Amino acid sequence: MALKRVQTHVQPTSVATADAAQGDQAPDWQTLIAHLQDPQAHTRRWAARELANFVHSVPHLFTQLDRETDLKVQEAIFCSLQSLGGPQVVEGLIARLNSDDAGIRNTVIEILQTLPEEVAPHIQDLLAHTNPDIRIFAIDILQLLAHPCAPEWLLHVLAQEQHPNVLGTAIDRLLELGTPEMLPQLNALQARVAQTPYLKFALDAAIQRIEDTSNAG
Amino acid sequence: MPASVLQITDAEFARFRDYFYRRTGIYFEDSKRYFVDKRLLERMRHTEYYSFRSYFTFMRFQASGQEFQQLVNCMTVNETYFMRERYQFECLVEETLNEIVQYPQNKARTLRIWSIPSSTGEEPYSIALSLLEYWPLIEQVDVEIVASDIDTHVLDRCRRGLYSDRSLMHISQDIRDRYFLPKGANQWQLCQDIRDSVLFTQVNLADLAQTREYRHFDIIFCRNLLIYFDEPARRRAAEVFYDALNPGGFIFLGHSESMSRISSLFKVRKFNKALAYQKPLD
Repeated sequence: MALKRVQTHVQPTSVATADAAQGDQAPDWQTLIAHLQDPQAHTRRWAARELANFVHSVPHLFTQLDRETDLKVQEAIFCSLQSLGGPQVVEGLIARLNSDDAGIRNTVIEILQTLPEEVAPHIQDLLAHTNPDIRIFAIDILQLLAHPCAPEWLLHVLAQEQHPNVLGTAIDRLLELGTPEMLPQLNALQARVAQTPYLKFALDAAIQRIEDTSNAG
Repeated sequence: MPASVLQITDAEFARFRDYFYRRTGIYFEDSKRYFVDKRLLERMRHTEYYSFRSYFTFMRFQASGQEFQQLVNCMTVNETYFMRERYQFECLVEETLNEIVQYPQNKARTLRIWSIPSSTGEEPYSIALSLLEYWPLIEQVDVEIVASDIDTHVLDRCRRGLYSDRSLMHISQDIRDRYFLPKGANQWQLCQDIRDSVLFTQVNLADLAQTREYRHFDIIFCRNLLIYFDEPARRRAAEVFYDALNPGGFIFLGHSESMSRISSLFKVRKFNKALAYQKPLD
């Protein structure tokens, strides 16, 4: 017994016995779609992973996501959806922002944060959504969204938003997104939040931080 | 402001630090201030943004993320040598491998270790040397080591096994004498037996077809690679590693990297000498 010597025929899977569901060859699309509903979670996961190669898999992946309870399969579905990208994926992800599963919602937000160009056309609708939770999730997306309009969208929230939890989330995000150009509107906001101590505290902290950075720059 | 008098204020440093931490998980203590400032100022001059505010806005909202990646490259140290972050090799031979051989399904089976990226070979060969020198069970258990990189040039260098004094700075004289042959000024060649014990392969982690065959590993070393990936690529890599590991297998990441920030599939395990991420046993 020892370190095994490399032999010329050795492959990365040399000691592995590949099973049918996870074979070394890529199965065809029909087989993968069938495997998405297999009773075995590892087979469903492998199918979800391989479907990243097929752009027309998007509706099937979302359908499976909605009934999937196994975390490792959910993760594979999300990874494939993120790889596939495009408007259909973004719309499907946005529709899952109101999922009852916090894990699903958080992953949806994380993925949408990485798709700035595709998400941008939807941001204003999300920020105006009738459900305040969805508006908070939209602000969460803005937090790390690499899009030049992000500060402007956040300002719009600060000007229009009435719900204290949504407003509080927006003020909190100012710590990262705030710029000196926002100061006049933030100062104007102070009167609106004067009667809500936690909002006043958060706003004062954000203004102070922006001023510190601005004075130094 | 003239480029020569650029500076980063305390508030700007704090703002950058928070953002960088949120994106990468790397937190710069105040003691790293000089290191961070120096690199930030270099990037500001290079991109011709002569105030922190304008540079930060440019970097923060750039859709391609290229400038952020440049910053990551600057802020992380890309250096390799034998036994780098030795505590992880100690954890391997003192703790994780001993746990893996205890699993009933692993009796009388070859254990498999994957080192990716192999770079110029210091990491996979450090694994081999650690097993031979410090893991008594190597007398009873077969181990295969696979080392992969996307760059075929470094794989050629791995196979040649030629290293400088600097690469061997953390290798004792005794081990150097027993496993390396002098090859001219400040050059040493790893002995053929050890070189033959590592299978070097070219692989691109982003290529599904290529990674499909990397499976049934017990240990993966993937240190200081994910930090250079964007979020989607990092998530994809985590999925590849999950599928590549046997249930109960472990992955070691670089000291500034955290799998918990990438994927919820792995369990964090705190060993005496290092932290590793484990694929659940099911």
